[in-house]
Amino acid sequence: MIKINNLSKIFRTELIETHALKNIQLHVSEGEFVALTGPSGSGKSTLLNVLGTLEHFDSGDYLLDGQSVRGLSDKALSALRNEKIGFIFQGFNLIKDYSLFDNIELPLRYRGFNAAERKRRVEHALEQVGLAARRDYHPSQLSGGQQQRVAIARAIAGQPRILLADEPTGNLDSLMARQVMELLEQINQNGCTILMVTHDPEQARRAGRQVQIIDGQLSDAAMYDPLQHTTPVAVA
Amino acid sequence: MEQFLYYLKVSLKSIRRAPLPYSLTVLILSLGLGVFFANATFYYRLNADPLPHKSDKLFFPFTMMVPYECQNCEPPNVLSYSNVQKLGATDIPTAKAAMYSADGYLRLTPQQPPLPVKIRLTQPDFFRMFEVPFLHGSVWPDASARAEVILSRQTAEKLFGDANVVGRSLTLDDHQYTVSAVLADWTMLPRLFDANNNNHLSEVEDIYLPLETGYDRNYLSNSQSSSFEDADYRKLPTDGRTKAIHQLQYWVQLDSAEQQQAYRQFMANLTADEKKAGRHPSPENNKLVAMRDIVAHFKQQGGDIEAFALVTLLFLLVCLFNASHLSLNRYISNQYEISLRRALGASRWHIQQQALADVLLMAGITAVAALLIGYCGVSLMNYLLPANRLFSSWDWSLLGGLLLLTLCCSYLVTLYPSLRASYGALNQQLKE
Amino acid sequence: MISPKLILKSMLRRKVVTSLLLVQLALTLALLSNSSLLALQTWDQLRQPTNLDLDNILYVSLKPTSKNLQEYPAFADLLERQLAAVRQVPAVQAVSFTNQSPLMTGGSNGNVNDENDRERSNTQNVPQYTVSPEFLQVLQLDVLEGEIPQQIQAWDGAAVVPVVLTKSLAERVFPGKSAIGQLTNSGPVAAVIEDFYGQRNAERVMYNRLQIAQIYGVAWGYGLILRVTPGQAEQVRSQLPDVLKAVDANIEIFSVRTMDEQLHRMFRNEFGLATLLAVLSGLMLLVSMISSYSNAHFNALKRQQEIGIKRALGASKQGILLEMLTENWLTTGAGAVLGLTAAVGLNQLLALVISIPALPVWLPLTALLMLMCCVTLATWYPATIATRVSPATATKTL
Repeated sequence: MIKINNLSKIFRTELIETHALKNIQLHVSEGEFVALTGPSGSGKSTLLNVLGTLEHFDSGDYLLDGQSVRGLSDKALSALRNEKIGFIFQGFNLIKDYSLFDNIELPLRYRGFNAAERKRRVEHALEQVGLAARRDYHPSQLSGGQQQRVAIARAIAGQPRILLADEPTGNLDSLMARQVMELLEQINQNGCTILMVTHDPEQARRAGRQVQIIDGQLSDAAMYDPLQHTTPVAVA
Repeated sequence: MEQFLYYLKVSLKSIRRAPLPYSLTVLILSLGLGVFFANATFYYRLNADPLPHKSDKLFFPFTMMVPYECQNCEPPNVLSYSNVQKLGATDIPTAKAAMYSADGYLRLTPQQPPLPVKIRLTQPDFFRMFEVPFLHGSVWPDASARAEVILSRQTAEKLFGDANVVGRSLTLDDHQYTVSAVLADWTMLPRLFDANNNNHLSEVEDIYLPLETGYDRNYLSNSQSSSFEDADYRKLPTDGRTKAIHQLQYWVQLDSAEQQQAYRQFMANLTADEKKAGRHPSPENNKLVAMRDIVAHFKQQGGDIEAFALVTLLFLLVCLFNASHLSLNRYISNQYEISLRRALGASRWHIQQQALADVLLMAGITAVAALLIGYCGVSLMNYLLPANRLFSSWDWSLLGGLLLLTLCCSYLVTLYPSLRASYGALNQQLKE
Repeated sequence: MISPKLILKSMLRRKVVTSLLLVQLALTLALLSNSSLLALQTWDQLRQPTNLDLDNILYVSLKPTSKNLQEYPAFADLLERQLAAVRQVPAVQAVSFTNQSPLMTGGSNGNVNDENDRERSNTQNVPQYTVSPEFLQVLQLDVLEGEIPQQIQAWDGAAVVPVVLTKSLAERVFPGKSAIGQLTNSGPVAAVIEDFYGQRNAERVMYNRLQIAQIYGVAWGYGLILRVTPGQAEQVRSQLPDVLKAVDANIEIFSVRTMDEQLHRMFRNEFGLATLLAVLSGLMLLVSMISSYSNAHFNALKRQQEIGIKRALGASKQGILLEMLTENWLTTGAGAVLGLTAAVGLNQLLALVISIPALPVWLPLTALLMLMCCVTLATWYPATIATRVSPATATKTL
């Protein structure tokens, strides 16, 4: 599904050069649920952004579903993003002016589906996250947990191949966080590959596989869990 | 005071943060105000009343005392000599004067090159009625013909090199005259006693001659004249006094309502008598028009200034809307800072005071820019519509008006945005 | 792609801003339409047929400065000498005296009627020209019927002075028959000539009456009208004052103008107003563009997050640009609908104070097109900047 070889990303300002990602090597198979962990500032979000083609990388290779991402035009990248990737952000990132229906419908419009098809998919997605009754509400009328579920609905409405989640439960209380995780697990069981950045060790454990990133480098070996003293899990 | 300076400093800082949107807002507002002000200058001056305490007491009578028959016709805009004699044969008015204007050539001695002058031929009451100030000498004692002239100060200086020239003689169109008085500097804008043919937009005359002398010496009106029977204009001393050669304006002063009513009655009786005597076949159509209504009566004022006034008002509104929109954008951008201040304890009143400082700053800058643009606008209008060039001067009251308008507009432009900024839900705004 | 309905929905949520925008767009369109209309009207007025060679006919307006020169016979002698002198100037093809010039707003005029049918035929405000016989060569007007008298009549009351009428006037006063020999209130008709533009305030501008006679009121000033070889007008114009002063220095020359300049003077006010309105329209367009630019700039900043989300969801840069432009076009379009009403309203208001024709449909539509182009241009740069928003930074949580 995802093949990254020797990928590097450098942030350059006038004074400082930051090597955010250094020679990353990562292979993710279809249907995996991967947790990306690491300390603050280690480059997790950067890696996720690169995976989601939200940021360009400076050297190396990135193959998404067999297709090389390097050198694609903006139009091609946007199409790729639209069809194959779904995003879930910590801050939900819903558009305040639009109703729930309109928010979820947005990527489907870019895809080019006709109105009937869009309607069908949106309603299906809303049902999956349990918010079918509130399709005409606006984001400001919902709680944090509900907003995140809307964001998830938006992410899955187009049936993407891979879901990228950046601290999806970071702004939620424990009850809502559990609900969101359950939803994600369900989506994963339906065949969607998920990459999730998280701080929470328990959430990381719920994922099938853990990948740690420290100072821009992946440590393929498992994360040492200071609380549990579990044996490291080998990464392919 | 110190607090106010603080507010000003905050305003300046916020401008420096994003100078482009602010300068664009000010530009738009000054464009609207400047253009409006340029036209308002002309509008204000053209519609000004030169004698506000008297303009409803001075009247121009019109009658159908003409030798032709016409149903539903308007009376002629100028009167004949005999019209004026008859209309003046009463003691009702406090003052009365017939008049017209002509062109002539002035010389100190017959050998000198001629100085073209504008002459007003009139009767002694003219000077009293229109409050013309005298510098030297005095007005003619009566309305009979005499070889005396009254000069404006500029003309006296142009001809003699001096203003104190009472008693000196000069040559006007090959005839000798003595100077009986010199007028002090005098303008009347608009010159409402001469509103025929839009002449009220031009300057006052250079020299004044007794009306009777004008008729004796065959001075023809250079403004408006009509003849309604076989009359010879070249025989003004005779035909001009007896036949229907209409070239005169006539003004009477009627101070009280009773006087006005009495004079109207007098006019009605006069025209009835004339009709009975078989002299004027047309039905009566007497009008007594007050000076403040005289321009409207002649229906000659081109609506140009009015049209442009309407349009510049609309332009000002458009600019106001635009500036408000941009100002709203600015306040939304600064929303976070304002909410922060509120969260730190500033009351709504404090925020409003800040807004007031913003308003004063904007008003100051906009006023200067608007004046510059207004000046350019006035120059352009003088170039394109030169007939109105006497009406383009600024005085303190006009400038004060502009300043007030600028202040109001700046306030309007800032009001809604600042209200919105201080009344929003704090928690929502801070999260943004 | 992106739905207009969605854009409308988000516009409706920001009612104050949207209504400000719409009102201002409507007023801009109203003003643009009406000023163009006035400009077109003035343009038409300046181009209307005069049947006169505007560039090659000069009119000198002058007056003797001494009283005795203003009277006959001294004046007649002065005229002869002046005409003779002007004929000598190279490039002058013909010269005549006249009491007034064609192409004026008002002037000397009177009524003309058929002595035998006064009531029906009475025509008011007909300009009266007293000229020398060469007048027709100067204006190059054909004689359609009859013959031009060659004797300059004096106004002695004794002799009857024949009149020459323009074709339209002859048809008006003597419909259906030849005017030659017919009696008017000022004399018998000797000839009928081609129409030419006399005075603007006349009943019809082509109604004119000529008499080959002495100038009547010299005190009102008089004129010399002359035709020059094409292209020589400036040359001749510069020489004329000296030539005339050499004949007799006791004259005041008020002006020397071509007929084209006379025409422009007649419409000076309209021209002035049309120019002022054109300048104002230009300023309005400028204000609209500034406003669009600033607004787009602001939107780009404010909605960075929204743009970032959309990019993350798969909108291309072009898509975002198109979306921003579409929003602009929709707003302008909505303002245009209001603007059509406003344009008609303003047209009617203006008609109360000046003479302005009714608004043709294509005019506000053209104005709208121009407005759209300007606004698009102004929005282009900020919108392009907006598309460069990095989705990564825009979607980042604070």
